[in-house]
Amino acid sequence: MTNTQDHETLPDAPEYDAENAGDAEFDDDDEPLDLTRENNAKITMLGSATDDDSCASFQFENEDHTLGNALRWIIMKNPQVEFCGYSIPHPSEAKMNMRIQTYGEITAKDALIKGLADLRDLCDVVTDKFVAEKERFTAEKRR
Amino acid sequence: MQREGYVPPTAGGGGATRPGGYGDNPRQTAMKYLCADCGKSVTINKGDPIRCKECGFRILYKERTKRMVQFEAR
Amino acid sequence: MAPTQEELERRRIVRVEEERVSHVTSTDFPGHYPGEDHAWDLDEFRKKFKIQIHKANELDYEFDLIGVDASVANAFRRILIAEVPTLAIETVFVHNNTSIVQDEVLAQRLGLVPLRGDKKGFQHLRWRKKNPEEPAAEATDFNTVVMTLKVACTRNHAVPATETDPSKLYFNSSVYARDIKFAPQGRQPQWFAGAGEIRAVNPDILLAKLRPGQEIDLEMHCVLGIGQDHAKFSPVATASYRLLPSIKIKQPITGEDAEKFVGCFPAGVAEVQTDRKTGEKKAVVVNPRKDTVSREVLRHDEFKGKVELGRVRDHFIFSVESTGMYNSDELFLQAVQILKKKCIDFQEKLLES
Repeated sequence: MTNTQDHETLPDAPEYDAENAGDAEFDDDDEPLDLTRENNAKITMLGSATDDDSCASFQFENEDHTLGNALRWIIMKNPQVEFCGYSIPHPSEAKMNMRIQTYGEITAKDALIKGLADLRDLCDVVTDKFVAEKERFTAEKRR
Repeated sequence: MQREGYVPPTAGGGGATRPGGYGDNPRQTAMKYLCADCGKSVTINKGDPIRCKECGFRILYKERTKRMVQFEAR
Repeated sequence: MAPTQEELERRRIVRVEEERVSHVTSTDFPGHYPGEDHAWDLDEFRKKFKIQIHKANELDYEFDLIGVDASVANAFRRILIAEVPTLAIETVFVHNNTSIVQDEVLAQRLGLVPLRGDKKGFQHLRWRKKNPEEPAAEATDFNTVVMTLKVACTRNHAVPATETDPSKLYFNSSVYARDIKFAPQGRQPQWFAGAGEIRAVNPDILLAKLRPGQEIDLEMHCVLGIGQDHAKFSPVATASYRLLPSIKIKQPITGEDAEKFVGCFPAGVAEVQTDRKTGEKKAVVVNPRKDTVSREVLRHDEFKGKVELGRVRDHFIFSVESTGMYNSDELFLQAVQILKKKCIDFQEKLLES
């Protein structure tokens, strides 16, 4: 896109209003913030014909195979879950649908929450192991 | 893809954002061109021969607009 | 009933046959094998999961993830390519460009230049919202970095008339990425001070060529973005994995066949060993990691039924090549954090509703 602009240079950056931004941490230069701090996650439960809550479909917005497949795998690792699958209904819509059916002991939503928690634990283990291995590798290299 | 058209110089030079544009002085008929051969800037008045004053070359280029143009780096 | 060690080994291999692959899908789910559990167990995972680093250059890492499913390894790879945020030139304000490179072409080239700067400083930066209605769409010192490029080409009169090399005949006959200068705004001089100033990772990228009288004068706005939006935001040149190859010799391959067997693989994969007592030659596999799984062995009748090729299902050889804003190891750790963040966010939203 091209268009001519009337201003010649940028307007100066406005003074940062720490009070109104409600973000006291920001002024603390020693402790930088996490970029991805905001929670913009959007998830909805898709309509079901019955009151049976042991099966449900969820729609994740702005998610794709990245989370879809990993989450599907870890939910399938749950012995209470009878079925779990995901699909991306249309490639030009940033949406991911996930279907969960349990054997009835837990609700589908519980299974999804457990799956997310398990995947989070997995990430912590991966981080720990990577940091430990990096330390070992650099120590070995120095010798 | 839409680009605002070239705005011809008007009295008062409304459109120009930087000094040295065509619309600076409405009474001034002199225009600046660039010689296609030696690259020097040539000022030509109304009625002057179209010719570089340095090297005599007869092809002159118009200067690029001084307006700022915005692009997306995509 | 617990499966035998042999059975477990077999399950780990994706078989590569002459014209097909088999045993492709993972079977480690509850209910797949009668009497076996396979439920998710964090302690079990912690025990079995391994990472081995093989190459650790700042911008080029190679490491193995062992004991994890392809879906998770793929999530890390996909996040590395498309979801780790970086800074890149997003808008170009052209004041003057009389070079032969058209404005829009130059702008696109500029966008692809990888940038670097103080890593801690980047953490102060925020997303700049694209929707002009939102307040965060306005350019401020914490969502926009300003860079300038101002180069004019002139003749060098100090060279002899016989000179033909444009780089000696003219000043600034080539415009390089190093000519892009950081114009700090607001508090950016503190965040990106001294050696931490924002600049191109590779100063020698040729942006345009100029001749006397030609000039480039422009201002650029850099914003944070992710690879999903545009490839220029991708923090990696490549992030990929392959499965560790496996070569199993089921019956001894001896004599001349042994030499031929070794010749079927890239150097260092297999070698001929001579028995000290009998003097018999025998082929052994030394380093399957170096194999390309070309399946050359399977083309020869003398090896029929004697060798089995495959890949280890849960052994991922990761290679992460950074474009320079972050080091490769930092990128991988960030990718893991981003996956974790997704989990936390959705969990939060589900517990709220």
